[in-house]
Amino acid sequence: MKRIGYLILYASLGFVAIFQLFPIIWLVLFSLKDTREIFGSNPLALPQEWKWENYVKVWEGDVGVYFFNSVWYTAIAIILTVILASMAAFAITRMQWKLSSFVLGLFMVGLMIPVHSALIPLFKMFLSVDLIDKPLSIILTYTAYNLPITLMILLGFYYTLPREIEEAAIIDGCSINRLFFRITLPMTIPVMSTTVIINMIYNWNEFVFVNTFISSDKYKTLTVGIQNFIGQYMTDWGAIGATLVISVLPILLAFFFFSNKVVEGISASAVKG
Amino acid sequence: MFKRKKAIFWFAILASLILVLAGCSDDGGDDSTDKDDENADTTISFMHLWPEGSSKDHYEIVEKIIGQYEDDNPGVNVDVEVLGNEQYKEKLKVLSSSDKLPDVGMTWAAGFLTPYVDGKLFAPLNDVLDSGLQDQFVSGTTEAYAIDGNTYGLPLELNIAPIFYNKAIFEEHGLSVPTTYEEFKNVVKTLADNGVAPIALGNKDRWTGSLWYMYLADRIGGADTLTSAIDRTGTFEDPALVKAAEEIQNLVDLGAFAEGYNALSDEEAKSLFMNDQAAMYLIGSWDLPNYTTNEDVPQEFRDSVGFFNFPTVEGSGDLTSWVGGPGVGLFVAENSDVKEEAKKFAAYFVEQWGQQAVADAGVIPATKVDTSAVELPDMYIDVLDELNNASNITLFADVQMSPESAQVHLDAIQSLFGGEISPEEFTKLHEEALAAEQ
Amino acid sequence: MKKVMSNKLMIAIYILPALLLIGILIYIPLALTGYYGLMDWDGIGEMTFLGLENYITAIKDMKFWDSAYHSFLLAIFSTLSLFIYLGIALILASKIKGANLLRKIYLIPMLLSSVAIAQLWIKVYNPSNGILNSILSAFGIDNPPVWLGDTSIVLYSIFIPILWQYAGFYILIYYAALKNIPDSLIEAAKIDGASPLQIAFKIKVPLIMGVIKVTVVLAIVGSLKYFDLIYVMTGGGPSGASEVMASYMYKTAFSSYNYGYGSAIGFLLLLITLVVTYLIRKFTSKGDEIQY
Repeated sequence: MKRIGYLILYASLGFVAIFQLFPIIWLVLFSLKDTREIFGSNPLALPQEWKWENYVKVWEGDVGVYFFNSVWYTAIAIILTVILASMAAFAITRMQWKLSSFVLGLFMVGLMIPVHSALIPLFKMFLSVDLIDKPLSIILTYTAYNLPITLMILLGFYYTLPREIEEAAIIDGCSINRLFFRITLPMTIPVMSTTVIINMIYNWNEFVFVNTFISSDKYKTLTVGIQNFIGQYMTDWGAIGATLVISVLPILLAFFFFSNKVVEGISASAVKG
Repeated sequence: MFKRKKAIFWFAILASLILVLAGCSDDGGDDSTDKDDENADTTISFMHLWPEGSSKDHYEIVEKIIGQYEDDNPGVNVDVEVLGNEQYKEKLKVLSSSDKLPDVGMTWAAGFLTPYVDGKLFAPLNDVLDSGLQDQFVSGTTEAYAIDGNTYGLPLELNIAPIFYNKAIFEEHGLSVPTTYEEFKNVVKTLADNGVAPIALGNKDRWTGSLWYMYLADRIGGADTLTSAIDRTGTFEDPALVKAAEEIQNLVDLGAFAEGYNALSDEEAKSLFMNDQAAMYLIGSWDLPNYTTNEDVPQEFRDSVGFFNFPTVEGSGDLTSWVGGPGVGLFVAENSDVKEEAKKFAAYFVEQWGQQAVADAGVIPATKVDTSAVELPDMYIDVLDELNNASNITLFADVQMSPESAQVHLDAIQSLFGGEISPEEFTKLHEEALAAEQ
Repeated sequence: MKKVMSNKLMIAIYILPALLLIGILIYIPLALTGYYGLMDWDGIGEMTFLGLENYITAIKDMKFWDSAYHSFLLAIFSTLSLFIYLGIALILASKIKGANLLRKIYLIPMLLSSVAIAQLWIKVYNPSNGILNSILSAFGIDNPPVWLGDTSIVLYSIFIPILWQYAGFYILIYYAALKNIPDSLIEAAKIDGASPLQIAFKIKVPLIMGVIKVTVVLAIVGSLKYFDLIYVMTGGGPSGASEVMASYMYKTAFSSYNYGYGSAIGFLLLLITLVVTYLIRKFTSKGDEIQY
């Protein structure tokens, strides 16, 4: 009986897995076809003719520069977002002050703004401080727009952190900074890894802000590289597929790395409830 | 006290991190103002929508023209930004909200440029045209960019929309090119009865369905009916415009359009046609390279494509009246710091473009083409002949209308094709939207 | 303890950097959006002050309410799908074999950009060449639906990819939360003879309730302002059948050049989201702050 139960469980888990895995397979096939075939044939059929030249086309563009920019914008924005959000979560859940729930409310409202409403106001603001076409505008925007969601995810975990450890630490004369950086942060490595993954995906795939605030080729990111293949009347979908594959690979690797941290973190941290 | 120091320390780290970031970008800023050319004292910023990846031929002509211009005008530097079509429109909009348009850029005709002209962002180019350039344009093209006697754009393309058809499929079913609407409907019926999708239509994009409606309106009501309904000298309640909408729904009922037409993008519809899954496809002549010179398309398919004029309906209408018009054109920003230089560049660009566009990129320019001087595929010659002999070219309806009415029109087209609204409701929606603008 | 933790300077240092960033980069645009909503402005030329006219127009605008209705359906749908995600996360976190690999596979769709996901599903749903209809006709179904072209089903056709796209996001959060539960608690329950199901629903779920509440808020807020896939896959059509608030706002502001009205819609979107979130929080606020 138990065995049948497991069989059904694994069968359904496996079914879901196939469902979730097939976009990657599709994407790779897609990147090796030409536009005609992409639209004309079964998406999961093998290419009639393997169009490796799609990748050549992509490499001929400025992909190296775009790639480098994507990496460092993403990395710096993640570090800023996760640290600032952790500090805020700590202050909101752990420190005692009157306005804490009001400030939390402010962050929550920040979740609700539709990105396209903010586009023209942000452009005007950056223009007035001469940040248009500067990477800083992108990093600041990514950080600010991911702070609310990161904070919200962190909060759920901060509420569940055991207070006894903190109390003991404080009684031992531990400073707040020491408490935060040495005790609280290590305890939250799993959730921090989670937020790192989420931030990474958001920043890596973002293009509305880059497209609007950046004009110089040398500051553009991989996502705007896709535009290189969108024409007035014709679009080279094969090359777009190749760009998508190239841009998903690093994030896939990084994801596997941080995904392990989600589990490892808790066993690594010495402090447990 | 100790704790406070530490806190200040952390805060300082954070602050310096931000400063470093700012520093990075400042350095970057300096780089971008350092021009390749040390002597450059004039920089013209130019934004276009022909990226190298998707429009290599266009892109290279642009680069060549800019190179020549910079060589001929020492001290002038042209700074280019290239964007994809949708992103181009979105960025143009954001830039103009802060009056930061590039010195030279691309615009569409009529309704599209109205808000920019009203906002005094585009410079009148009458002086450029009057210095001899006007004669080089096909008559009627620059007019599409004119508002109240001033012309704000120098058109780069000119298109008409014929019905392309698959000769092989027609032959297989013993069909010949229809010249009347009755014959056309017979073609549709024969194909539908034999399980072949008669017409590929990507009506998710909506302007594609609009082309069909425009032709029916033109043939039934004459060349001016739709145009005058839009410019308010006429009305959308004109019986011919209702009749045209009825005919659309008749075609839908006949099964004329490939399954799922309202869900397909133009690109998906095109692929039906190009994979022999649909017999006809109404689209602008910008698609000619796919049927002539594009090496990525199998020769066999290219050889089997022909085109015909939209047929006359019950004896009325003129076969040589077309839907089409100029596509993108160059604008010069009114508030450009280098307006005169920008105008000079735009004029230079249009002239050079006209000479190279057809031969090298397969784009029919809005300037006159000397067909004897260039080697062109037969289908190009035929289209150019049709252009020369056209009795009328009605500008795409969504381009004629203001952006707001254009959206109403496009949405109504989709609902009309989907059978969600009646022909009367269809014309009423237009009448209301257009009347509200007056 | 209390004294240390209520040090004003420290609180300021911890909260102000984040608060300043969102204050400047989110709240100023937000205020400007509300302000532009009071204007007659095409986004280009001169603005003229209208007062509340745009907001009044929006309240009478059936198209806006249709789009709001669609957004609400999406929000309900997304909230319900949280149960599925939670179920999967519970299975994955219960130390079954292969959980580690499965978990990673499940998260893959979330790595792809919306452009890629939209293209994929457009091809799944293609009326003649698509995967779905190919399968259906292989099973002898002659007239499979036009998934994205039929006004009565298009909205649901679009929910599926959204459900699929966000699976990874929520599973990841739930998984991390479940892994955060100390083993000692589970072991104690096992010794007391609790079944795996009892452990899951009596111990694990209540323990991560704080996280679940957060995800409910995220799902609702995210749905109400959802834009990406819908805009690429259907553009809100056919005939507005899949229009949501954010796509309607975008079209009004950027395609119809009615930036003032678009801003008013954007601001109303925010207000609606705010009210809904407030009600949800109030509704679920009992018993916050569970500790291990």
